[in-house]
Amino acid sequence: MDKLSVITSFVHNIVVFNIPLLYGTVGEIMVEKSGSLNLGVEGTMAVGAIFGYIFGCYANSLGVGIMVAFLAGALFGLLFAALTVSLQANQNITGLTLTTFGLGIYFFVGNSVKANGWPVMGNYSNIKDGFADIDIPLLSDIPVIGRGLFSHNMLVFLGIAIAVGVWWYLKHTTLGLKLRAIGENPAAADSVGINVKRMKYIHICVGCGIMGIGGYYMGLNMSGSFNSSCWINGYGWIAVALVIFANWSPAIAIIGTFVFGFFNTLRVSGTSIAAAFPDQFGWLAHIPTQMYQALPFIITAIVLVVMSIRNKRGSSGLPSALGQNYFREER
Amino acid sequence: MRFHVVKRDNWPLWKRAVAYLIAVVAALLIGAVILLAIGVNPIDYYYQLFTMGTVGNRFAYKTFMNYIKEFLPLALTSVALSLAFKMKFWNIGGEGQFIMGSISATYIALTLGQTLPMWLTLIVMCVVAMLVAGLYGLLAGFLKVKFGTNETLMTLMLNYIALYLLYFIGETKASWNIFLQESSMRPVFVNFSKFVSFPSIKMGGKFELNICVILTAIIGVLIYIYLKRTKHGYEISVIGDSVGTAKYAGMKTNKIVLRTAFISAALIGLAASFKVGSAGVLSTAITDDVGWTGVIVAWLAQLNTGMIFVVSALICVLQFGSTVAATTYAQVDSSFANMLQGIILFLVLAADFFIRFRIVRVKKGE
Repeated sequence: MDKLSVITSFVHNIVVFNIPLLYGTVGEIMVEKSGSLNLGVEGTMAVGAIFGYIFGCYANSLGVGIMVAFLAGALFGLLFAALTVSLQANQNITGLTLTTFGLGIYFFVGNSVKANGWPVMGNYSNIKDGFADIDIPLLSDIPVIGRGLFSHNMLVFLGIAIAVGVWWYLKHTTLGLKLRAIGENPAAADSVGINVKRMKYIHICVGCGIMGIGGYYMGLNMSGSFNSSCWINGYGWIAVALVIFANWSPAIAIIGTFVFGFFNTLRVSGTSIAAAFPDQFGWLAHIPTQMYQALPFIITAIVLVVMSIRNKRGSSGLPSALGQNYFREER
Repeated sequence: MRFHVVKRDNWPLWKRAVAYLIAVVAALLIGAVILLAIGVNPIDYYYQLFTMGTVGNRFAYKTFMNYIKEFLPLALTSVALSLAFKMKFWNIGGEGQFIMGSISATYIALTLGQTLPMWLTLIVMCVVAMLVAGLYGLLAGFLKVKFGTNETLMTLMLNYIALYLLYFIGETKASWNIFLQESSMRPVFVNFSKFVSFPSIKMGGKFELNICVILTAIIGVLIYIYLKRTKHGYEISVIGDSVGTAKYAGMKTNKIVLRTAFISAALIGLAASFKVGSAGVLSTAITDDVGWTGVIVAWLAQLNTGMIFVVSALICVLQFGSTVAATTYAQVDSSFANMLQGIILFLVLAADFFIRFRIVRVKKGE
């Protein structure tokens, strides 16, 4: 029984610690489908996290926290859109700066608040209770994996819901189709009467807002303890990788989150699994932790190459106009 | 009333300079408002930041020498990146290439440092670091040329693979791991500064100028000539404008892309060997984020080699000065520099728009 509970907590941890990746990835998919490559995921998640957490605590409301995190992320998206869509600035540069800027804001705001008394999550009952696990009836009673998969905080379910929603939106709605058309060929989309600028603005802002909620989740998951390392801790970059792994599909992103999460969690729980099953998984204790950390990037690099080989046959979800600004007068 | 945006013919240099100046001043003003909001006198703070606390300081020469140590790798990395960017090859893999360079330079120092004469070790260090970093950059170039793999995303992945390799070396105690001190229980990098270190030239007083400074300046001039005066430089700029044109003109574009990707990454490897060769010890934070900051510097400087030196000098003042100012103003986190850097770049990008385009009012009925 004890051995089985190791598996249960392993599965549980895969979900709990990696859903922020899903938020970041789904948000970035939305942005990239509009043809914009935003390398500022890390920074966007960081501002969502810090503002969401602080305002959420002050208001003692998880809902306010989520709203503020979304808004902070969306404002970052607005900045990105204003610079790259309207002012034709280079997307790579703007995105990278957004990360520097966002992390700067994160520490600046965080340290300023800390100097005047940091809000401790445990003191805010609504936040703490709101982030507590919810059991889904029946499903969470399935032995071994039930508690692992179906007993989670509401932000986990919200993340999955957003991923499914965005998948459906991109695949089955007219607006989604229009968005994908812009990502493939903005000039052609423009010529059939799609308002390219407005569509790009809206989707960049919403996508970045989703990333912001993911950042807030990470803050809550760390129980809001603010120290010298950022809550996001590179998850934004893994999300950029995961977009590629998921072939720009939010549905595959859910699976991808669990695949990346599997390795992420092995890094932490590898030794306890090795201890519980010494015969089968004893070797896990010998794999260096840095290998697990590098794996998402190694896998993605391989996927990227395989995809570009296959792309010559046109089955990739990579938007053709990704990273290129659209300047109407040059049509 | 409607407006539309039209490309502008070349604005005179002074107008462009004024536009950028306005952007930077505006950014500093925004920074000042933030400082005021948390109750810090912005003039005093900026004074501390931009003088880096050197005024009236007996140890100003030390501050300046430390400043140079931060400035060199950034300037050289930015110059290296600008080569690739000119060709519209988005090498954002500076971090990874720097790490690969510093690991291999350290390896040479540790294995050959005690047997070979120092000058020879230093040369071998530089050459090997350039080769290894260059090949790491070439990998992304090769995939781009061969399969059309997106180089931005690829170099990004390679950064993190290199980073975790560095962590692995820095955190794993094992008999094969010559990078760590044998005597220490905790993982600590071996310090080789006693037997391998770039020599410094006395400049009078206590001020010393490291030979890397002179080398970097020479490389800067050479790259300027390479880009402006050689056939290679011309080919790079043609490909940057249009690959189609380059192909039409009969250029072997693939070869040029590969060559430039290699040179760009190799120079970053050289910057890395300068860095470890002066520090005398590897560290998991060896890059100091120059691979990221270098991208921003190269772009702020409009990929102009001379301007890159100016801009990286200023960015370093910002970063170094903010840590100095943080000792006086404890309430201003040193992350203020990152924020300010972001605001400056955003406003410069905005200014860039008005330099490249003009807005024309469309009359009714047109």
